[in-house]
Amino acid sequence: MTLSPVTTEIIRSALIQAAEDMNMTLIRSAYTPTIYEGKDCAVALLDRHHRVLGQSSGLPIFLGNLEECTRHTEERFGSDVWEPGDVWVLNDSYVGGTHLNDCTVYAPIFVSGELVGFAASRAHWIDMGSKDPGGSMDSTTIYQEGLRMGPTRIVVAGEENSDVLRMIETNVRFPYVTLGDMRAQVACARMGVRRLGELFARYGAVIVDAARAKIFAQTERLERERIAAIPDGEYEATGWLDNDGIDLDTPLHVTVRVTVAGEHMTVDLTDCADQATGPVNCGRSQAISAARVGYKLLISPAVSLNGGSFLPLDVQVRDGSMLGAREPASCQYYYSSLGMLIDLVIKALAPAMPEQVAAASYGDSMIVQFAGELNPRTGQPFVTLEATVGGWGAWHGSDGETALINNVNGSLRDLPIEVVETLYPVRVTHYGIRHGSGGAGRWRGGDGVVREYVMEADQDLSLWWERSVTPAWGAFGGEAGAPPRVVLNPGGPGERQLLKANSLRVRRGDTLRCESGGGGGYGVSPN
Amino acid sequence: MTYRVAMDIGGTFTDVVSCDETSGRMSAGKVLTTPDDLARGVFDALAGVRLPLSDVGFFVHGTTQGLNALLERRGANVLIMTSEGIGDVYRIARGNRSRLFDLHYRKQAPLVPRDDIVEVGGRFDASGAELEPLDEDAVRLVAKRVREEGFDAVAVCLLFAYLDGSHEQRAGRILREELGDEALVVLSHEVAPEWREYERTSTTVLEAYTGPSVHRYLDKIEDRFSGKGLDVPVHVMQSSGGLVNADFARRHPLQTLLSGPVGGTMGGVAVSRLLDRPNVICIDMGGTSFDVSLVLDHRPDVSPDGEVEGFPLLMPLVNLHTVGAGGGSLAYAEGGALRVGPESAGAAPGPACYGRGGTRPTVTDANCVLGRVDPESFAGGMNLDVTAARAAVAGLAGDLGMDTVELASGICDVGNAKMAQAIRTLTVEHGREPGQFALLAFGGAGPMHAAFIAQEIGVTEVVVPRFPGAFSAWGMLEADVRRDFSMQFFATNADLDTTALATAFRTLHGQATEALAEQGIAVDRRRIGHGIDMRYESQDYTLTVPLTDADDVTAPGFLADIQQRFAEEHEKRYGHATPGAPVQFVALRTTGHGLVERVDAQYGAAAAEESESVVRDVVFDGAPWPTTIVPRTALPAGSELAGPAIVHEETSTTVVPPGARLRVDDNEFLIMTLAARPELEAHA
Repeated sequence: MTLSPVTTEIIRSALIQAAEDMNMTLIRSAYTPTIYEGKDCAVALLDRHHRVLGQSSGLPIFLGNLEECTRHTEERFGSDVWEPGDVWVLNDSYVGGTHLNDCTVYAPIFVSGELVGFAASRAHWIDMGSKDPGGSMDSTTIYQEGLRMGPTRIVVAGEENSDVLRMIETNVRFPYVTLGDMRAQVACARMGVRRLGELFARYGAVIVDAARAKIFAQTERLERERIAAIPDGEYEATGWLDNDGIDLDTPLHVTVRVTVAGEHMTVDLTDCADQATGPVNCGRSQAISAARVGYKLLISPAVSLNGGSFLPLDVQVRDGSMLGAREPASCQYYYSSLGMLIDLVIKALAPAMPEQVAAASYGDSMIVQFAGELNPRTGQPFVTLEATVGGWGAWHGSDGETALINNVNGSLRDLPIEVVETLYPVRVTHYGIRHGSGGAGRWRGGDGVVREYVMEADQDLSLWWERSVTPAWGAFGGEAGAPPRVVLNPGGPGERQLLKANSLRVRRGDTLRCESGGGGGYGVSPN
Repeated sequence: MTYRVAMDIGGTFTDVVSCDETSGRMSAGKVLTTPDDLARGVFDALAGVRLPLSDVGFFVHGTTQGLNALLERRGANVLIMTSEGIGDVYRIARGNRSRLFDLHYRKQAPLVPRDDIVEVGGRFDASGAELEPLDEDAVRLVAKRVREEGFDAVAVCLLFAYLDGSHEQRAGRILREELGDEALVVLSHEVAPEWREYERTSTTVLEAYTGPSVHRYLDKIEDRFSGKGLDVPVHVMQSSGGLVNADFARRHPLQTLLSGPVGGTMGGVAVSRLLDRPNVICIDMGGTSFDVSLVLDHRPDVSPDGEVEGFPLLMPLVNLHTVGAGGGSLAYAEGGALRVGPESAGAAPGPACYGRGGTRPTVTDANCVLGRVDPESFAGGMNLDVTAARAAVAGLAGDLGMDTVELASGICDVGNAKMAQAIRTLTVEHGREPGQFALLAFGGAGPMHAAFIAQEIGVTEVVVPRFPGAFSAWGMLEADVRRDFSMQFFATNADLDTTALATAFRTLHGQATEALAEQGIAVDRRRIGHGIDMRYESQDYTLTVPLTDADDVTAPGFLADIQQRFAEEHEKRYGHATPGAPVQFVALRTTGHGLVERVDAQYGAAAAEESESVVRDVVFDGAPWPTTIVPRTALPAGSELAGPAIVHEETSTTVVPPGARLRVDDNEFLIMTLAARPELEAHA
């Protein structure tokens, strides 16, 4: 049959829109700010063969892990397992790749009795019943990290599976909002079922499938053309994670080897540290996802994701390594390596794509958390969570951006001083740019920030800061950015430098100075 | 004779709608905008539509003066004065990114460079207690610098000024003392008395940046009227959809930033009341862009804050969603598929059919090929070049291996699908499906596409108002005076002090009363409403819960009652609620409406013109259909038509596809009824 370019375009944009509508449904009906404000979620509409028809993300780092969940379910239980009206959940780190908080909810889509695809979403549930609330910075096995679910039906033939819901309820610390978030994901899946159903009702399976094939082919062709433009060869880059959060003296190495051959690219991640004791491990699908982010940033940043994306890319991961964790490795801080992996793919390809790449950025979340039993402002227990912004790498033609959220997060914003001080017993005495922290170069790396807190009550401080062993490197002779630096009571008698801390007691009047890293410079500085 | 006159000054055209105060008769006209001097343009436009100045009894307009200054970055030279320790906050700008995959991401360049930001000592804490007095010597040094370096304006934004404005006021007094009229001084707690220092600074800077040019512009207009010895109340549309007089707009110029396009939404509110349709989707399609906004329960969808050009604005704004899809949107091939927009042929060369040298096909060219525009009567008779349109579409059709007419239909279909998606995004965001709305179409190209867009989203009723090409101006004539007030008021359900709450509302009520009096609104025409911004603990965004006249915030049941109503609002907007969960009170909002006195508009006074309708082939669904082509002037109230038909008028063309029915109601609005789409029904 012949398919009109008009129909293809209308179906292409309808699929993108369907994913947007799913994402909107999830974000607007979720119960916790992690999802509706932190946008810690992603949605995908998949075809019968688990290929992406449309995807929409809050975070940029879930490229490929949602389809792993439907595929795994089918591999395990056979293709007859799908029934109309069922909705499933899965949060197994070794399948989904990330920590147990990331729960993927997915539903098969039937049209006239035929399975035509899947609607899936992943969202961060605030607590899975781990040994510490919300997750631990010092877990050493996944069994300390909470409830782990393989493929599990939460809705059967349109009715909630109350046995399973009770089981979840019993295991997590905040059951009310957790089930609320789960139901938001069910609503999101139903929006996907509805939108894809409308499309099939309007055009029929044959036309939708023909359009799908054409859309995938367009994307694949475009990516192949862009890879073909890169000189063939082997490219390599190495970086180090500071430590695994348990043994603070041992850095963990990651080497990325990229091979470009014609229209094909291989990213080899096998040469990295074995899975660690601390919670820095991730499942293979997340390592693949991170490599895809690096690839996408260079090859096709503006193109919508679909089943044609990443076809020319092969990512190799070693089972039992930190990036291909096996049971019972702990995975709570799975994202520690992601920002670096993304930067390493880019660094490796720098000689081949000097104008597209950028020098490295400051790293990832740089988390500061205050918690206490009593907030004098409200008389209630409290817990805060802030991600700190930093400097990005320079590129050919421009300095890197200053004070920008990391590559792993997306639309996350810093907390205004007026909000922090109103809600929590801390005062922010300084929030400014960390001048000179960006690496020098023909184009300078962006600067990090300095944020200084004074405690107004005794409380517990937790920190998860990274990238001091290999701070943001420069490119083509540009210098590295300054590493991060966190100091408790700077200049005072109890001065102490630290980057990681798990519930460290701090006292009223103590000062905490947090300095995020700068980005790398690009090109040799003329001075 | 006295006229009430509204004027929407757009980039290319200025639309004028007037209403004769004695007879209620309305008329509309269109003249070219004079971008080099908008104030002169106002008077040229009045002359252009033959309205003698002495007959103007009430004048309202939407001005792009401030917005143009911002878009073209030729605003005032501003210096920022802020608190010690946070001079970089304006540059950090909360650190978020708007694109997920962009290695070369740069934030919007700030309007004020870091060198022009000065920190001064003085600090309050979060309870409003003074920790450190204002460093007045530092303020005097700032004044010295402003004078020496010739800054036009100073934006003062100090931490927690929304709780206690005394430091800002003191700094303002010193600056004014030292500088006199040399520089505009803008205080953050006066512009936006709300928390979040970056957003408040951004708002204050925008006011300082755009203020002086709006100021000069309004001065000129009033001078010109009074130069003729006329005392004409000059009003300006605000971004919130309400009117204010020029004197207020001069003092608070920022409120007029988005003053033009919101006229359409306010027209939508008036139409929703006239037709008793509470929920209306307003679509405004012109040459380069497509604006969607909503009327929900007869009220405009107004957000308490928003963003312009990437700069946050803590000020009520009508929620307008814009996509690059207009008559001038270019069609092109990419990877063997057809794409339409967002690139536009603009005014020059414009669509191929304008005959100004354009050769690439646009949406208007596609409509031209399909016979959906009348080449002789389009846009007041610009004589479209059908041959050029056909050649442009045929060229692309060849590249895509398609037939010319098939491609022309396809260009419209892709464009319509894109616009339908923009609408769906907005309604899904509100937790509603578009099928529950009526679609109100205006702008030159809106009524041409409305039926197809409606079918795409499952809407069955399309309304084309009078003067669709000048509808924003019509809407301004229908709008009322509005003044907004807010106050930060942080409390939790556990510690809410209702006596303090009542005192705060009394203050706001007093401010609103005073403001309406200042706008010349008589006591019996004032309507003052209150609302509370609330959220669940740990949320960031808030919902505004309106209070009713019957509410007594100090009554014993109030706390439980307001929490219940918050839960209901939450349920409505987000599809769920958590009754009993801890809530926070964040800000208080008071809106004063002043009902403008106006005579009811009269339509249908003029007898319908005797005019021949003709029948001509127009393409629908790929096939030619014999179609009735009729001028709107030949359709008096009560007329009915069955599609396919095309109704043309000076500034717009309404397309009625096969299967649709059209009737003309008592207001002389065109009401089109469409068949429901079965597959949307099935899932509804």
